[in-house]
Amino acid sequence: MRTEEETMKLITNRFLDCNVKKLRPQNLEAKVPESITIDILSHLKSHGYSHLATISCVDWIDDNEFELAYHLFSYEDRINITIQTRIDREKAKYITAKELWPVAQFYERDIHDFFGVEFEGNDNLEELILENWNHTPPMRKDFDTRKFVNEQYEWRDYHEQENAD
Amino acid sequence: MDGTYKRGSWEEVMDWFRKRSLWMLHYCTGCGAIELPPTMTSRYDMGRFGISPMATPRQADLLLVTGYLSTKTLRRLIYTYEQMQDPKFVIGFGSCAINGGMYWDSYNTIKQLDKYLPVDLYIAGCMPRPEAILDGFLELRDRIESGKADGYKKYKKNFEYYQKNQEAVLGEVQRTQ
Amino acid sequence: MNKKMQTEIFFGPNFPGVPGNYGISYNFQGDTVVEAEPNAGHLHRGFEKLMEQRIWIKNTALVCRICVMEPDINEMAYAMGFEAIGNLEIPERAKYIRSIILELARIQAHLFSIGGNCGAIGLYTASHTGTLARDYLLDLFEEITGGRVYHIYNRPGGVRKDISDETFQKILDTIDELEKERMPEFDHLIFENPVAQKRWKNIAVLSQEKALEMGVTGPAIRATGLPYDVRKLMPYAAYDKVNFEVPTGSNGDAWDRLVIKRDEIFQSINIIRQLIKNIPDGPVNLDLGNGLKYKVPAGSAYVKIESARGEFGYYMVSDGGLKPYRVHVRGSSNPVGLYGVVAELPGTRIEDVPVWAHSLDVCPPEFDR
Repeated sequence: MRTEEETMKLITNRFLDCNVKKLRPQNLEAKVPESITIDILSHLKSHGYSHLATISCVDWIDDNEFELAYHLFSYEDRINITIQTRIDREKAKYITAKELWPVAQFYERDIHDFFGVEFEGNDNLEELILENWNHTPPMRKDFDTRKFVNEQYEWRDYHEQENAD
Repeated sequence: MDGTYKRGSWEEVMDWFRKRSLWMLHYCTGCGAIELPPTMTSRYDMGRFGISPMATPRQADLLLVTGYLSTKTLRRLIYTYEQMQDPKFVIGFGSCAINGGMYWDSYNTIKQLDKYLPVDLYIAGCMPRPEAILDGFLELRDRIESGKADGYKKYKKNFEYYQKNQEAVLGEVQRTQ
Repeated sequence: MNKKMQTEIFFGPNFPGVPGNYGISYNFQGDTVVEAEPNAGHLHRGFEKLMEQRIWIKNTALVCRICVMEPDINEMAYAMGFEAIGNLEIPERAKYIRSIILELARIQAHLFSIGGNCGAIGLYTASHTGTLARDYLLDLFEEITGGRVYHIYNRPGGVRKDISDETFQKILDTIDELEKERMPEFDHLIFENPVAQKRWKNIAVLSQEKALEMGVTGPAIRATGLPYDVRKLMPYAAYDKVNFEVPTGSNGDAWDRLVIKRDEIFQSINIIRQLIKNIPDGPVNLDLGNGLKYKVPAGSAYVKIESARGEFGYYMVSDGGLKPYRVHVRGSSNPVGLYGVVAELPGTRIEDVPVWAHSLDVCPPEFDR
């Protein structure tokens, strides 16, 4: 069973470009460049970090970047690691993680639905949760949900009774 | 919704019978449906009023819209409502059916139910307790007996109004034969 | 495969065999499933976008509606995420009260789930009795927090108000009655019933390798023999101060999962008794100032707790402002409800499909959000 320091060395001994820090007991966070993320995930998976909880996406509109976060856990070491990587917001493309974990194809389909990010190698990126959605992907920061609601739906008017007959 | 459609004397007798045996479609559309199992089982028994759950829409009289409606569910709900046979009644549950409720600024839920389907009764609450649901059912029975629960006649007469509102939100809507 | 023998059926959202408002479309060959595809999104309300529009304290009223069967886990995980980013330490009495509420929520979720499983095989008496036994626990919640289903009791920094000694005595009386009078009734009706055993043994088997690969947690992975429970692996609230066991199975079928749920009800009763006996005095929440101006410094955190169905995780990002920057919810039935349908269902017979869905605890509001 490794401690948090030994797990941090597991990454920094082999990949030199990463910024790993300890947030709280049993919780680590690593910021890595996008060119080596899949290699780091495969390296960690072969050393016991085989449970992928989920994949999240954050829209940093001021930096013009999307951030993908992979949450891994090891049942032997009992340590949570979050691997964060940044990709360009205009291109919005990345490689899939489905070769390592087949369940990742549904997490990536969800991110494609809400943020519009494409994943190379994942051939099924159809609509999962929304239906017939033709506007901007809704979780992006430039989609104003209150303006959309005011244009698309009407509010109930409590002063005059609207009679259908 | 105020008894403007005149009914004959044979229909008055039939309404006296109809109010004592209502079959409810067991379709849990939103989060208000978690208070339906306590209402149906032995503590707040609703079977003593003649109301019992039914699986298919072709054999049901009462449609309960329990809470909010996303646009994906609204399309299927209209298809289900048109499959039910006349006379049929709709009850709107909770504050989400009245004016959007907790999700008033969400891009995926509808804000007023009676623009898309004719509603006979609303029950307030978030979510309504089983006693409030039973109170609503008793009020509906009184309305059926006095002839005021005529939402299904209104739907047939003002079909263009409802169709215009449905297609504004959903695009093209499939209709039952 | 003969193309003429294949039928395509839609188990749509209005169907008694699926747990909730959720659809699956199948391709059958005779009576056996050949292909299946999930159709999710009927319950989508856009929670993650709504949470970015409201200040930190207002989200505690919104977030409990994400999982309808067991709302307390959402409030707890949201408060824990806020405290993790800000490095806050809550008082001891608040930790004990949070654990008591979570264990009561676990018991009522297990009773509801056992009732749903029995409804899937046609034993309707058991689902009626399970709903009735759960109703007495909802009465307890109404006395403690004011609401039967949505409690809004946890807030960042602790809990909203204290519990008196008379209420503690009522909690002990209710769980005594549950243990001594209602659970033997369930044993006699469900677990010693040979017809029910035949419907559940060796059906819907999920092997250990598949479960670890998919990321499945909760009773489903404990049924394969691994004693993985977040309360033991990464303790939170007051769970490191009580003694309890983690029940496991051996075959990974539907029968093992149900027996684990029954055993966990007894373990939860034991935990509640220990907590009430040893609870310390003190304040029940931290004073964080004006509620409309809560703030934490910039940072991010991933917290997880053990719900009745498995690991429930929240990933929260803050930029130092009055509203959260991003909240991502990981429901516990996310892998099974979406990927499990595509990978595990082919090969099952049509009458075992509702048993599969109910015993693996597919909960649609969790992955639709």
